[in-house]
Amino acid sequence: MLKRYKPFLRAGAMDTLAFRFNILMWALITVCEVACLVFLWLAVYRSSVDGMDAVIHGFSFREMISYVVLTTVFGFVTFNNSTLWNINTDIKKGTVGNYLIKPISYRGKFAATSLGSLLTMTALFGLPLYAAALLVLSGLGFLPDLAFPGFFAHLGLFLLSGLCASLLNDTISYVFGVLCFYTSSGWGLNSLKETLISFLSGTLLPLAFFPAGLRDVLSWMPFAGMSQDPVLILMMKYDLATSLRCVAVSAAWIVALELFAKGLFSRAVRKVTVQGG
Amino acid sequence: MRYVHLYFTCIRRSILSRLEYKKDTIVALSSFFFSNLCSLAALYFILQAIPALAGYSLPEVGFFYGFSMLPIALDHLFSDEFWLVAYRRVQEGDMDMFFLRPVPVMFQVFAETFQPEGFGELIVGVALISVCASQLTVTVSIGAVAVLCVGAVFGAVIITSLKVAMSALAFIFKRSGPLLQVVYNFSAYAKYPLAIYPAFLRALLIFVLPFGLFISLPVDTLLTGSHDPWLLSLAIIGCAAVFFALAVWVWTRCERRYESTGS
Repeated sequence: MLKRYKPFLRAGAMDTLAFRFNILMWALITVCEVACLVFLWLAVYRSSVDGMDAVIHGFSFREMISYVVLTTVFGFVTFNNSTLWNINTDIKKGTVGNYLIKPISYRGKFAATSLGSLLTMTALFGLPLYAAALLVLSGLGFLPDLAFPGFFAHLGLFLLSGLCASLLNDTISYVFGVLCFYTSSGWGLNSLKETLISFLSGTLLPLAFFPAGLRDVLSWMPFAGMSQDPVLILMMKYDLATSLRCVAVSAAWIVALELFAKGLFSRAVRKVTVQGG
Repeated sequence: MRYVHLYFTCIRRSILSRLEYKKDTIVALSSFFFSNLCSLAALYFILQAIPALAGYSLPEVGFFYGFSMLPIALDHLFSDEFWLVAYRRVQEGDMDMFFLRPVPVMFQVFAETFQPEGFGELIVGVALISVCASQLTVTVSIGAVAVLCVGAVFGAVIITSLKVAMSALAFIFKRSGPLLQVVYNFSAYAKYPLAIYPAFLRALLIFVLPFGLFISLPVDTLLTGSHDPWLLSLAIIGCAAVFFALAVWVWTRCERRYESTGS
């Protein structure tokens, strides 16, 4: 009698194991990537004129390693791509029609979902990971002592800029998702978006390394607020005034991009082609 | 001969289905191009700040980077479908269609997708190598050119073999995508000279996951004459043969374990 249920028992166990296996694998991939960057930076600082004590574009070796670790954690917590893929699926399966006749905003639905995901990610993974990273990095002397007087102000601004980063990320994801109405498939747009963000936000390399003109333009663009600025606020590399300016720029961009997305959606929705699943 | 004909028929179908999403394909190709350009720009900005990286000048580092793209691009053109096997096809039961046809499953997976994005990588790689090579002053021997060609072609065979073996594990574990990703991502290490890594990592990249064997060592041979090009070529070809044989063995053993999802 009970034998009948054995496959389900096994399936349940495998599901749980698969989830843990995925997290483990994700951690392994991330560790390998971060390790590669650490070796690269180690070689860069060793090869520089001043050796390991060099300060390159305002970053000491220790600060650079902290930056790499913290942008990785920050990206894991705030980066959420579900909006683009959900719009893509809605277009492919034709379910977009169902939402257009419901009395809720298509945009509002995604914004709320992403916010829910951000809160869960921050509570479950973000806070423990940030705490661990900060304690280890400042314990090793890679970051200033956490008893630094302005630390809590910085922490507060960091959380605020993290929220902005997540909203910016979701808005841009939505804009690219709406563009899927024109291309009928999200693969290309998604990789274009990811490339743009990882390069222009300073995830690949701090913007301080970029040529002066490009750097000035980028400091007024929405991208730096999605990775570099929040991390530098947390590392206390920015003073409070600069930190506030960064948050203000991000907030202004969120409003501007939302307005743009609204206009784009009302045009794109006339283009919608339902492919019939 | 029948298989050659069959392969081209399948590839034509793959390209046609891709062209259904013409705009998306164009966006994908350009973003691929753009993504390589961004990584290069980042490397260029870093190297601007220092005289040389572990003794390698800017054009030399660029040469490593460009050359690493060639075997990766060749593999990308022909075996992209294995990613789907590892991530989705087995788990969702899509493999049924391959098992019902009277042609080896592995052949069908190869023939399922031809990935034109690989051309983008190939073009960027060759362009980068040409630009960097024009600024280098090395005496080019026939041996060095030969070992670079061997590294690119047989390197692609090694990458493909790793992909086949790792994705075959999906037949047992239902989903082996992340594992494949871990192994594949080590190719990123070979974008830079091996000299920047500690000894254990260098050994790993030559003897276990041999991305260094077919990318870094041939380039080193060209730049500094560090190895005998003919012996190195032989080692790469031998390694490719062993990896390919192992991959086929793993695939045929795992294939038998496939069970459909029944949905």
